[in-house]
Amino acid sequence: MSAIRRSAFFLWLSMLMAMRAQGQIYQGKQLVQADALANVSAVVPGEPFLVGVRLKMQPHWHTYWKYPGDAGIPTDIKWELPEGWRAGSIQWPIPLKLQEPGDIQIYGYHDEVLLIQKIAPAKNFTSPTVKLSAKVNWLVCEKICIPGDTVVTLSLPSAPTNSPANTDLFARFQKQLPGSPGTNFSASWKSDATGLVLNVTQPELAKFPSVEFFPSPPENVAVGHPRLESHEGGAYTFRIPLDNAKQDFKSLPGLIVFGNATDAPDRSAWDVSVGSEKATANENSTSRDVVRFLVFGFIGGFILNLMPCVLPVISLKIFGFVQQAGQSRGRIFRSGLAFIAGIFVWFLGLALVLVIIKSAGGQPVWAAQFTNPYFVLFMSAVVLVFALNLFGVFEINLPQWLSRRAVAAEGSMHGDAGSFFQGVFATVLATPCTAPFLGTALGFAFTQSAIVILLMFGSIALGMSAPYFLLSAQPAWLKFLPKPGPWMVRVKQLMGFLLIATLLFLLSVLGAQRGVASLIWTCAFLLVLSIACWMKGAFLTPLISAKTRGLVLVLMLVLVIGGGIYFIGDKFQRAAAVATPTASGGGWEKFTPERLASELQQGHAVFIDFTAEWCITCRFNESTVLETAAVQAAFSERQIVKLKADWTNGDPAITKLLKQFGRPGVPLYVLYPGRTAQPYVFPELLTKNIVLEKLETVNRTIASQ
Amino acid sequence: MKTLLLALSSLVATTLFAADSPPVGAAAPDFSLPDASGKSHSLSEYKGKYVVLEWFNPECPFVKKHYGSGNMQKLQGEFTGKGVVWLTIDSNAPGYEGNLSPKEAQKVMKDWKTKQTALLLDPDGKAGRVYNARNTPHMFVINPEGKIIYEGAIDSIASPNPADIPSSTNYVKVALDESMSGKPVSNANTRPYGCSVKYK
Repeated sequence: MSAIRRSAFFLWLSMLMAMRAQGQIYQGKQLVQADALANVSAVVPGEPFLVGVRLKMQPHWHTYWKYPGDAGIPTDIKWELPEGWRAGSIQWPIPLKLQEPGDIQIYGYHDEVLLIQKIAPAKNFTSPTVKLSAKVNWLVCEKICIPGDTVVTLSLPSAPTNSPANTDLFARFQKQLPGSPGTNFSASWKSDATGLVLNVTQPELAKFPSVEFFPSPPENVAVGHPRLESHEGGAYTFRIPLDNAKQDFKSLPGLIVFGNATDAPDRSAWDVSVGSEKATANENSTSRDVVRFLVFGFIGGFILNLMPCVLPVISLKIFGFVQQAGQSRGRIFRSGLAFIAGIFVWFLGLALVLVIIKSAGGQPVWAAQFTNPYFVLFMSAVVLVFALNLFGVFEINLPQWLSRRAVAAEGSMHGDAGSFFQGVFATVLATPCTAPFLGTALGFAFTQSAIVILLMFGSIALGMSAPYFLLSAQPAWLKFLPKPGPWMVRVKQLMGFLLIATLLFLLSVLGAQRGVASLIWTCAFLLVLSIACWMKGAFLTPLISAKTRGLVLVLMLVLVIGGGIYFIGDKFQRAAAVATPTASGGGWEKFTPERLASELQQGHAVFIDFTAEWCITCRFNESTVLETAAVQAAFSERQIVKLKADWTNGDPAITKLLKQFGRPGVPLYVLYPGRTAQPYVFPELLTKNIVLEKLETVNRTIASQ
Repeated sequence: MKTLLLALSSLVATTLFAADSPPVGAAAPDFSLPDASGKSHSLSEYKGKYVVLEWFNPECPFVKKHYGSGNMQKLQGEFTGKGVVWLTIDSNAPGYEGNLSPKEAQKVMKDWKTKQTALLLDPDGKAGRVYNARNTPHMFVINPEGKIIYEGAIDSIASPNPADIPSSTNYVKVALDESMSGKPVSNANTRPYGCSVKYK
């Protein structure tokens, strides 16, 4: 401590010494002793084992965790391995949180630490002994910091079989490794101007007086000190300031550390990294989906212009603008823009209504609505009715007062405001042709987030107004417009078949959810509904007498309501009770949280397939990867318990676990290699190689633990 | 709107998290400290000039990395030559590693051939705490308007090994070069590395 007070010569000298990194001997003491140990007596070719670099420190001196905190450098280990060998990343035991004056917080280890890594030897090697060496760099600090380095070596014989070694030491430090939280754990992140807020819930946490969050941000990212903001029972809220936050982090990897006291020797920790990383990954994939939605929305909006009640409007409108504006290009264009604004307002208004209805229904889970068979049933009915409309079975008429008013308004308004309202009304008047698509789009949009809904309807509006935009900018192009004619009716009918295809998809989902019987009853209801639609087209014409109209209306209502009550309320309901989804087959067993916990307790490795009948990606992964002979063989060879979590009907236990992994929906594939090891999350799109490679590591991990 | 949000958030950040460094973009807090020869320097007297603050501990291996290799002196020479004020600050408390008496400070400057404007002594950690300087070296760059434009590490490779210097990016140099040529600082905030400042 007082060494500094000596001469500058000493300063210079000690500086030179540090340059050569020989600072391990300080005031006659060896500050850190490093050696390497293995958890096996011999190396078996191809069988992974564990090695640990042990650092023994003088009392009060510490080395650092992977995130050192406000100062310091993590210990670094570089193994020199023979060709074809691989070393895994360091498994860091739970560190101590150390405070220094000046509110400096660091994470590190006192006394002794074992930094474990998995070594995967080559499958074939012949040498009778193997010598492994690693270059270890550390920074050891008390009041002062001194960097040190050394090369540790480890010689092991190679043999066809081996036995465990150094079991006590490895067990002692493996006990200090962070584990994976139980199934009733959930973590969520929020970010605001000053940093991140982490909410974690696990009933067990209520038992511990000390619960903390240790962040491990990516390299070169500075974070402030996490603070416990509030807690109630097993729910904890931490605030993590992001220093001078310009970083757009949504979450941070880190540990939830809990025990009877800060730095108590019996502390445990859960790694919350798995879910947080995945949350961001998932956001990327949804943003890709959103772009696709928007492109389809635009195309859909554009196609709307080819509908019989829209196409003639285009040339009429543009001619109208030309006449009103007296050939002034600028004014024609302005009228066109105002008209387009009207179209946008209508569509965005629709979207807004949808968003409001939806938000009244609470927090949505992506595609979760499809787990509800009644939603699927409702969508099927909507799609069928619109398809019948497109086929010409019946027409959708606007209420007379509305169309009368709209027409009147159109005639009476001029100028930009007039064009704007004309845009609104023209879109309203086009409803009979656009409703089938908009209605369907609305239904599907219901499963999306508010922003996606608004964007999607915006892009439909954009697609629909594209021709107006082009033509009002360049009225001469009117000549390229196809002539209205009977072909438009054919287009409309063709679109009807598209909707029937959609209906098929919905019915296949329903069948998977509720079985064949319920499918039959659904179709029966759809048939009754079709008859009602036909009645409307055939009899509810403007020419019929009020008496007949009333009779037809009553008949229609009786058909739909009676059919609904009989086929859906009764038969469908009962069929549902009989047909529970079958998760078994091919050695798959039904997932329950209890089942997972008990398998892990017994030290089994577990693979979970989160799937649903309506999830096409899931089916694809299952048929091309999971159900293939090679993968099945790997599963049985490694004795991995295969659980299928079927989310077709939105099982809440599964929803919870999905959320824990930061997933809004299926597919999700998770491998629990063993009791304490981290669950591994596979990418959404599986390949045989990814799965086989990961499975290969499993049994050995268990054997070595 | 964006600037307003930024201003608001930095306001909230400074009031709520006094323990954190003043954020990049905020006004650099003023201080007044004696140098090795007893002459007092305050930040406000250098308004209109670029100022670099460098937290210092001659015993710290990370500081030695940059002085032993001549890297820090070179940087100090280059930028003081361009009119930048370079203030090296020792906030280590008496009795702790790195604390310097005025005499020792002069000796270090002479022996290490340092080229800063002044080596300031902050034994009670006043300035260090205001800036929440946590490390040696911990670097701040302040522009002529008195705003912090960079806070964090000296360079991109966090190690005590001087051999890493040639392959690392010097964030302080990049920040000064960018700002002096009228560009925004691309990497205005990094995680500082080094020894902890030894506060009382």
